[in-house]
Amino acid sequence: MKHSFIDKYSDLESPVHSLDPRVKLIAVFSAIIIIVSEPRGEIIPLVFYALLIFILVLLSRVPTGFILSRCLIVSPFILAAAAFYPISIMLTENYQSLQSLRPEFKVAVSVAVKALLSVVLLTVLVSSDKFHNLLLGMRRLKMPKLIGILSALMYRYIFILYDEALRTTRARDSRTPGKLRTGKLKTFGNQSALIFLRSWERSQTIHNSMLSRGFEGEFPGMRKLSVRRTDIFYSLFFIIIFLAIRLTNHSGGCFPFN
Amino acid sequence: MPAGIHIKNLTFSYAPDKPVLNNVSLDINPGEKLGIIGPSGAGKSTLLLHLNGILTGSGVVRIGETVVGKKSLSEIRRKVGLVFQNPDDQLFNPTVEEDIAFGPLNFGLSIEETDRKVQDTLRAMNLEGFEKYESHHLSMGERKRVALATVLAINPEVIAFDEPFSSLDPAMVLQLITLINGLEATLVIVSQSILPLISCCERIAVINKGELVAVGPRDEIIKDRELMRSSGMDLSFYTKICREYFTE
Repeated sequence: MKHSFIDKYSDLESPVHSLDPRVKLIAVFSAIIIIVSEPRGEIIPLVFYALLIFILVLLSRVPTGFILSRCLIVSPFILAAAAFYPISIMLTENYQSLQSLRPEFKVAVSVAVKALLSVVLLTVLVSSDKFHNLLLGMRRLKMPKLIGILSALMYRYIFILYDEALRTTRARDSRTPGKLRTGKLKTFGNQSALIFLRSWERSQTIHNSMLSRGFEGEFPGMRKLSVRRTDIFYSLFFIIIFLAIRLTNHSGGCFPFN
Repeated sequence: MPAGIHIKNLTFSYAPDKPVLNNVSLDINPGEKLGIIGPSGAGKSTLLLHLNGILTGSGVVRIGETVVGKKSLSEIRRKVGLVFQNPDDQLFNPTVEEDIAFGPLNFGLSIEETDRKVQDTLRAMNLEGFEKYESHHLSMGERKRVALATVLAINPEVIAFDEPFSSLDPAMVLQLITLINGLEATLVIVSQSILPLISCCERIAVINKGELVAVGPRDEIIKDRELMRSSGMDLSFYTKICREYFTE
């Protein structure tokens, strides 16, 4: 079956797409570390980070609607995690009013914004290159072998899961006049179980095929990566701006709104 | 250089007391093309997986002078190539080029040697220009050829095919038969498509309920109506159609 829900925008031509995957990985993960390291409850610097990331999204030409949809998928988890902090304070300590919990809410908002900004950065990263190029970049950066293998297998097997889900849904739809009327829960339960069983069996066959061609736990790569000077320049520029925001914030209140 | 295959008293079961292969013994000569037929669930594909050491039952499987076992796996997998029934199960890399390169790189070839191997194999399979294509965007016939190319790139001494003719149109079947007949390795072909099979193989083995029922020259096996019927391979239907439509 044909689908490209992960590599959908990886063929676009943009300054971000043309960068070496290793440089992109280093820049994005550095930016995430810088954002996450902001002190709790700081909101204003996050606005500046958001502005920078927005410029990066525009440069990458990945549609903003696509990035927002990715954020929407993870937002329930992020919001639940962020809301946990003020709620836990409410439950464990005496509080007079919601007004008195203002600092806690500020922390919750900063946690949620940091997480969302990180998701946007990762979405831009994954959309700006073929997934296997990123894996190759990770391998060349000497990331732990296990992480590389897990990511590669996850990438391969997620399509199998998706294939099986499509097949069973088509089979169900072909015998359903319009919407399911009775036994919804039972039908969906059976279908989910079947999807996992069939995916598991197909995954075994694929693994056999890998073994039969000498697979011993490592995906060999054919492509040679080459870093250009401009790649290093752009990524350093990107990291330095992030660092500047981070350090300016620490070194004595350059943000007048704090 | 093609290798011979020696299988002696091979027994294997997925669940206790339900053997899928029961005391199978078979010898295949170097360079020979052997077809294996039998009803669904007879154990044909399970037998193929034993040639490459993916499965190991009790008994002996020998490829050339090498006995299939845990210690010889690397050598065995270099000697025996498996072409799976569904090419989607075989092609797991993002591009055709990387899929073909997967075997040679795993077996220790350098990037330069592998690249040469990939180009040679693509040329041999009439797939030049397909290097950067994504496998899942190819037609079934093309995917089957790429799947075979991934195995040929290893230069195996034995090639085992699992249902190579399924889901192919007649023109593609003919193309595949020509390709198979041009291969110099020892070939073991499991197939329910009896007509293409007899145009590739000199000898045919019949497996039913995990047991090797018969093995012999294709003319003898195919003409033994009783054997074919009892093994769930009744060909009278084909004969009738051929008489009706294809006799001049």
